[in-house]
Amino acid sequence: MGDIRQSLLPRDVLSAAKELLYHLDIYICNLVQSGRQPPQVDSKTLELVEEFILHAPKDRNTPRMSALQELQLLEIMCSCFQEQSRDAVRQLMFAALFNLQGNQADESRMALLGKLVSMAIAVGRVPILECAATWLQRTHRVYCVRLAQVLVDDYCSMVPGSVPTLQNIHSASPRFCCQFITAVTTLYDFTSEELTPPLELLQMIVSWIQDDPHLVLITFLNSPISGSQPITSLDVTPLGGLVRWCIKAPLVYRRDKKQALTNGSSENEPEVGPLFSALHLSVLQVLMLLPNILNEKGLFGRLALLQMESLAALTSDLSRLLDQADKHTHTSSADTLALSQLALDRLAQALQVAMASGALLCSRGNSVEKWCRDLLQLVLSGPVMYYNNIHTSPLAYSPHAAHSPIAPHPTLPALPTHPQPFMTGMPFPFRPSH
Amino acid sequence: MSVVFDGSPLKAMQSSHTHTPQTALSTQELSQEIKSFISGVDTVQGRKLSVREHARCAVRLLRSVPACRGAVLEHLRGVYDEHVSAFLHNLETESNASTGVSSNLEDIIQEIHAVLSEFIRLNPRAWAPLVSTWAVDLLGQLSSKHAGRRVAPHSSSLNELLQLWMSCAATRSLMEAYSQCLAAMLAWCPDACVDALLDTSVQHSPHFDWVVAHIGSAFPGTIISRVMACGLKDFCSHGAKDQGLLVMGVDKGSRVPKIGSVVGILGHLAAHHSDSIRKELLRMFQESLNPSSPLSPTSSSTSWESSPQLRRAAVPFLLQLAAMSPNLFGPVSAELVELLRPPVLLQLQAVLQGLPREELDNMLGLVVHLISQSPSGGARVFRFLADTATPASVIISGPTPSPHEGVREGCDRLLQMLLLHLHKLVFNRTDGVEVNPHHSASSQPQRVIPFLEELQSHVGQLCAETLRLERKRHLWLHQLLCLLSVYGGPSTATEALCQLLTQARNPEELALAWQLHTTLSSCMAGLIPAAIARSVAQIHTHTLGPRQLRQLLLNLAAAIQSQDEERRGATGAQSSMVVQVGSAVSGHLHDFCPLLLHGDPAVSHAAVRLLSCSPLPRTCSPAQLLQLSRAAVTHFFLTLRRRGEGGKAGRDGGQAGEAVNCSVLLLSRFAAYSPLTLKSVLQQLVEGALHKGNTDLFGGQIADMSGAPVPSPSVSPDVGASLLDVNCRFGTTVNFSSSVWSVFHAGVIGKGLKARTITQLPDPSLVIQNIQILLAVIVKCCSSSGLNGSRSPSDPDEPPPINAEAAKVVAVTLVENVCPDVANSELSWPPEEHARTTVERDIHIRRCFEAHPVLFPLLQVVAAGRPALCYCSAVLRGLLATLLAHWEASREAASTDSPWHLQASCLLVSCMGEGQILPPVLANVHEAFPHLTPFEVRLLLLAVWEYVRGNGPMPQKFVFSSEKGMFCRDFSRDGDVARYVAPIHSVLHKNIDRLGHLCWRFQL
Repeated sequence: MGDIRQSLLPRDVLSAAKELLYHLDIYICNLVQSGRQPPQVDSKTLELVEEFILHAPKDRNTPRMSALQELQLLEIMCSCFQEQSRDAVRQLMFAALFNLQGNQADESRMALLGKLVSMAIAVGRVPILECAATWLQRTHRVYCVRLAQVLVDDYCSMVPGSVPTLQNIHSASPRFCCQFITAVTTLYDFTSEELTPPLELLQMIVSWIQDDPHLVLITFLNSPISGSQPITSLDVTPLGGLVRWCIKAPLVYRRDKKQALTNGSSENEPEVGPLFSALHLSVLQVLMLLPNILNEKGLFGRLALLQMESLAALTSDLSRLLDQADKHTHTSSADTLALSQLALDRLAQALQVAMASGALLCSRGNSVEKWCRDLLQLVLSGPVMYYNNIHTSPLAYSPHAAHSPIAPHPTLPALPTHPQPFMTGMPFPFRPSH
Repeated sequence: MSVVFDGSPLKAMQSSHTHTPQTALSTQELSQEIKSFISGVDTVQGRKLSVREHARCAVRLLRSVPACRGAVLEHLRGVYDEHVSAFLHNLETESNASTGVSSNLEDIIQEIHAVLSEFIRLNPRAWAPLVSTWAVDLLGQLSSKHAGRRVAPHSSSLNELLQLWMSCAATRSLMEAYSQCLAAMLAWCPDACVDALLDTSVQHSPHFDWVVAHIGSAFPGTIISRVMACGLKDFCSHGAKDQGLLVMGVDKGSRVPKIGSVVGILGHLAAHHSDSIRKELLRMFQESLNPSSPLSPTSSSTSWESSPQLRRAAVPFLLQLAAMSPNLFGPVSAELVELLRPPVLLQLQAVLQGLPREELDNMLGLVVHLISQSPSGGARVFRFLADTATPASVIISGPTPSPHEGVREGCDRLLQMLLLHLHKLVFNRTDGVEVNPHHSASSQPQRVIPFLEELQSHVGQLCAETLRLERKRHLWLHQLLCLLSVYGGPSTATEALCQLLTQARNPEELALAWQLHTTLSSCMAGLIPAAIARSVAQIHTHTLGPRQLRQLLLNLAAAIQSQDEERRGATGAQSSMVVQVGSAVSGHLHDFCPLLLHGDPAVSHAAVRLLSCSPLPRTCSPAQLLQLSRAAVTHFFLTLRRRGEGGKAGRDGGQAGEAVNCSVLLLSRFAAYSPLTLKSVLQQLVEGALHKGNTDLFGGQIADMSGAPVPSPSVSPDVGASLLDVNCRFGTTVNFSSSVWSVFHAGVIGKGLKARTITQLPDPSLVIQNIQILLAVIVKCCSSSGLNGSRSPSDPDEPPPINAEAAKVVAVTLVENVCPDVANSELSWPPEEHARTTVERDIHIRRCFEAHPVLFPLLQVVAAGRPALCYCSAVLRGLLATLLAHWEASREAASTDSPWHLQASCLLVSCMGEGQILPPVLANVHEAFPHLTPFEVRLLLLAVWEYVRGNGPMPQKFVFSSEKGMFCRDFSRDGDVARYVAPIHSVLHKNIDRLGHLCWRFQL
């Protein structure tokens, strides 16, 4: 269909785009009907899309669309997807339009995609959301996160009172909703104030999961387990992200609250603590659901829904946070202790449940052992000794610990390699470096 | 900018809308809504939407569909534009009929505003950047689109423009929305906001100014600093590329768009916030220098202070800014100079060291350009530069401690470049050729160089500093003076020269003046005469203090004296200059002469030095000459008096002596100038010597006109005699000869002699000296060849003969003073008996001689100028008559018993002999007087009388003898002398025992 370019050139921006969409629709229908496998949109067509719809800067200095024209285009796209009854055609068309090509058109592609999805949410265009869910599954997580950011900005911060609209996606397209949660939990990792989820979003997610714990697993349940999933894409489930949120939240919000107190602004917002508790509970419940599902699929013990690496990263983050909390402990130590304990409790619970439900695979002894040792040190270096809270006895790993090449915590050079003394109750200097 | 925005209606709307219950639209409804919005047609009813409904629809979408944001805002532009059009149309037609339309739109605009402001309030981070960009862009678009409308005032009248736009609801709403955004964004990213403002300002330059002005005056502090920060960032990013083009680019505002608008905006704000702008500029400078300034808590992470690159660019940026806006630069420069203390300079050096050499050179050029263009503070800047660049010295310790060597060298270089630059400017200025093209824009019209313009008023100071002769410094200053003089033209040059002449205190310093003149003489003619004329004007207006005056006169004198030295080893240029000085001074001699009588001895001394060495003018009006001579003579007596006083006090003796010498020199030169001056000088010298104010100088007593010393009123007792009474009693017919009339002179009959006042005589040696000086002057004057041009004999040992005419002047003056009532004609003598008729006058004459010892020497001088003594014949006769009377009446044993009379007789006779009124035989008789009795003296004097009576003292009897160079009298043509000699011989006989040794003197 490269020959239509000449006819598109003299048109004005909007009608050219419209016409191209029309031709694209026909072209893809033909493609699907021809039954060629796999159906592939050729590069000429992709170039046309970039030139006339995305207006990528080319040698021809194309006038960009005005915002009004763009809105019209979006509207046309919405109805176009809505009216196309065949799912395969829709998917192919969406892919032709929005799959990233790694060229300079990607920026406008992302911008247009953001607007399209945002609009689809507003006017409830389910097909688009479904396509977007697929897109979220296949695309690099950086771009997924960007899309999530656009949506959160649009609905949670830009337009007040539009949260309910976003809330509707749960019923409109659970798949999209699940992917959205995954993207959002990847985006907001509590590393800075900007990367803390807005309260509205949090409330929304909690209510979604509370209403339907299966939501979290929808992508996992609906997609075939194959190696086709690119490694850079989002996790299959938002479980890892949610676990991270629940564990980090007490420490992070404590920090935020303190800052708010020093800033003197009294916050009328409802406490986030209960929300995270509820979320944690939901996560644990979802984890509890897993053994059955995995067994049904025959994947029990073969697929790790929680990645060991991400948990390791979480542990080190946690230790850093605890360290920080420890440094500020002189201000409100009781509070800090309680919150730190809460975080560690949640970690332990999540680990235990995950391991038990087969979401976390600890088959390889070395990695588990190392990870447990890290955990032990985390506990030891904390303000209180938590070892009795940890069900996994560190004693079990002591013979291997002696061979540990490097003590991960420099402040305790010799201690972890000889857990014997403190297990037998012999006195040893508590936090000798202090 | 005085328009205060009253946003109350909008605010009211806003608050009412905040809590309107949001009717959540279903997805279908939203879809319909979007369709309606896009098509402009109500999809349900199928009719076209009005502007108002369309706008409402847009607002609804804005509230519910985030993705429509851009489109809605774009649509709203049209709504705003429509309203502005309607508004302006309304104004143009001035009809109230169509107000309905505008008010309709006005309420929708208020709704839009309410929504936007609610959004901004609720989530400033998301909305403020969006809305601010939109609002600013729309404002720019609206204001430039409607700038051409009939009602729109011209873009230069900012206040009217502001008034118009702020009365329009649409623009007012936009403005308020932008203000709200700005207020919200200031906390976290003010740069973006101001960036948008700047961009728009560039785009819609003159029409958008009102917005910038309004915003700027609403947020002066932030806008100023932000505008500058933005400009700096932009400069830094652009400047890296085309620094070379920028740096000297006074005329390239377009090259960096933002810096142009930065200048424009700051220029606007300068009207009301110049102080904060100045502070901000200085702050930026200081901040950029602080290498270790920790991030202050207030400065955000985006602030320029944190970036070393930006910090390094700050100084060039500020320079650039200054170059583009003299308004901004002017007030800052002064404080900047104050700031540049040594530590700051070191920091500056440290910062600038990092820049590449080429850039540094450019900066240097820019600085030079700035200095040369700065209209104020130039003197301070220059002094600072000179101070800093002056090498540290043990001898000279300046006010500031010596800076680091590198800094010093930098300043040195800067200074030299500045001078070079000024040199180019100054010398290109006068001819039309432009060498340096990029100065053309600034210096084309009048080629004014503000730096020099300002310094013109500091010429005096500069001269003073130059004269301090501090190492390199005075070279710079001197160079600057030269440039300044060339720039300012003759008036400045003259002033500079004048100042140097007035302030120089020694030959080295004075040499600077001549150097200046040498430099300037090539391009300026008549500088020295102008300078002298100016000095004279200053003298007349008494603007110079005595010290300066004195210095000026001394300097001029030194200059002229150097001419005399030059004459021996003449060099071209300077001697010509010295000649000019001489001629200029001589042209103003009469202006200097009043200074001779200046109250300050130093001044008058300086004046006499100048006058004594300056050449005399070719032509001069008699009045001036007379004035000059009077002044000179008066000064002469003054110096004599001062010398006396000084001698007593034991100080200034040397100076007084020198003054006398100068005065003598002046008088003699002046007398030699013309017959008129000779006559006048001599007359006044004689008159002055006899004047009662001066008599004491020459051992005389103060005498009234009758010749008698005047008793001081307190001393003289009232004798109760009144001439009036006497006259009344006797009537007018009485013959008064030898009556009481004459007795009054000695006292009233019956009351005894009048009491003689005892005046304190000055030191005799001093008197003698004074008399000597006076005589020397008179002799010098008389012997100079002024009158008849006869040259003095070639023999240098022999003093030149007294000029006869000059002597005659002295003689006549003398007679007039001693005895005013004698007619000049009666030269011949009557018989001795007739002397009785003139006894009154004779007594007067005798008293004169008594009172003024100086008269005899004067007579001697007259006698030496040979026929001249004839004109004194009346005085001689009177004196001789009284002497005869004295000796006749004398009952003393020897003539030596009345010493004054003896001396007077001797002197009189010798004078007459010298004057060839008596032949040698008779003239010698005075040698015998001391050995004789009074009677014999009388006999001899009678013989003298008889001779003179027989052979009248007539000038005609004298003949000029060319071999002697003087007049001589041939006594052989007169009658036989022998018959007059008889009494002499008798007396000789009588006293042969004592007078034997004198006999040969009386041989015929």
